[in-house]
Amino acid sequence: MISLPLLKQTIKSNWVIWSAMTAVMTVLCVQFSAMEMTQSLLFTIFYGMMTTILPGIYVLVTANKLLASQVDRGSMAYVLSTPIKRSAVAVTQTVFMVISLVLMFAIQTAAHLTVNAVDPLSLETMAYNALSGELTGAMIIKINLSALTVCIALAAVCFMFSGIFNTAKYTIGLSGVFVGESILANMLAMFGSLGVDGLDNFKYATICSFYDYQSVLTETNDWLVKMIFPIGIAVIAFAIGSIVFKKKDLPL
Amino acid sequence: MSVIEVQNLTKDYGHGRGIFDVSFHVTKGETLGFLGPNGAGKSTTMRHLMGFSKPQSGKARICGLECAKNYYRILENVGYLPGEVALPEGLTGRQFIRMMQGLRGNKNDKRVNYLLDKFRMNPEGNVKRMSIGEKRKLAVVTAFMNDPEILLLDEPTSGLDPVMQEIFIDFIRDEKKNGKTILLSSHIFSEVEAVCDRIAIIKDGKLITIVDAADVKHGLKNIFTLTFAEKEDYCGFIRCGLDLERKNPEMLSCSVSVNDEDTNRFIAEASKYNIKSFEEHSVSLEEYFMHFYKNDKTFGGVKK
Repeated sequence: MISLPLLKQTIKSNWVIWSAMTAVMTVLCVQFSAMEMTQSLLFTIFYGMMTTILPGIYVLVTANKLLASQVDRGSMAYVLSTPIKRSAVAVTQTVFMVISLVLMFAIQTAAHLTVNAVDPLSLETMAYNALSGELTGAMIIKINLSALTVCIALAAVCFMFSGIFNTAKYTIGLSGVFVGESILANMLAMFGSLGVDGLDNFKYATICSFYDYQSVLTETNDWLVKMIFPIGIAVIAFAIGSIVFKKKDLPL
Repeated sequence: MSVIEVQNLTKDYGHGRGIFDVSFHVTKGETLGFLGPNGAGKSTTMRHLMGFSKPQSGKARICGLECAKNYYRILENVGYLPGEVALPEGLTGRQFIRMMQGLRGNKNDKRVNYLLDKFRMNPEGNVKRMSIGEKRKLAVVTAFMNDPEILLLDEPTSGLDPVMQEIFIDFIRDEKKNGKTILLSSHIFSEVEAVCDRIAIIKDGKLITIVDAADVKHGLKNIFTLTFAEKEDYCGFIRCGLDLERKNPEMLSCSVSVNDEDTNRFIAEASKYNIKSFEEHSVSLEEYFMHFYKNDKTFGGVKK
């Protein structure tokens, strides 16, 4: 079902942006968790925004390159002039998308675990919420797992557009609106939760609300239940994108 | 036995674009030229044979298999040269060849080196910085490296310099000798004339005619220009009912188009008159082709 030569080619043409985003995310994570001045903002700024914004940019660009842009440019003709099924192309690109995000978060999580092991963060220093105790490694893993599933859902929706459209401009346009809206609404909702009246309702307008680091910090299981939704969205969107790509007429 | 079979293939893209009721077949070992201007539907037909598009009605089959459904099985034995030279991003020429070898599951370096040598191609360096001709050569190498039995070539020589075009045409001739079945689309008469056994002419998505290349070489029809000694001879001849292409009463000359089967009648008629000069021209494929294109050409609904 997976074509290794195609996977190799996909890695070659996407590793630069992946490396850049992974590096930025990891460096920011280390900075926010290690420097005393910024530690209090680790959750609001880094886990609140950066873990969706940076992978969001990555999936927006990459999902388009995986299918739509290759159809638009015509280079997909070379791939499909070989005895490879279109469904194998779609599955290979899906696998790349998911695994690259998993690795991105794995590296970032490993960095945070290392920093936290050296100097465990006291949750009492957080800017909001009456929390107590120290940040544990298990918490860090749970938070990142929650963020990862939401990012996979974002990726899946972008991939769906990439499978549906034959032109990069529609794919980038619609994916951009979707990712941008999700991130923006998430930020507004966060200001709402920090006390700005009325903005709280924006949490209903974004897929990022299923990413719930606060429930991990307060040690409730809401985050685990909420993971079901992004996983469901991801499965459906990847499937729609792949099926449409398999069935449609390609202008190659 | 038909290797490539297209039956009543129709795909309407709207606005008069697409292909309508196209039927032809290519038998084993045969080379069919697919001639038509830009936008006539050559690539659309290729697209159906490659399984990129599904027909609205009609059928496209290769080796008896439906292209839209079994493309991945058919393509094991097909070399395809796309009309576009958009190669995948961020690769060197060598990496592109490696990638295509991987996708095809065949690593025949000997054949690759032979082809690179034949087309004087240096595959090192980033594809992005290659000229259109070099990219085309790279595509040619990857299309032929598997030594496929069936070749679908979409305007293969566009972007190649004249020397390379020559080498390419020689190469196609060799492939033909090895019994390959070839469908070659083009709008260049000379290359079609040089390699094809039969020639299908397509216009506005409709197949106009299929002619034997042998007939084209012999002359699809002959045109004779006669100049008469006396006015009476001229007047007598132009009334004989033959197909006159051109009349020139001042020069007492006229041109007659004669099909092979009318040759005797033409000679019998002409021998009745006193003729001063007699010239024959054969119609080349180019003229024949132009004849179809110039007819019924409409511009904004106005017949020209």
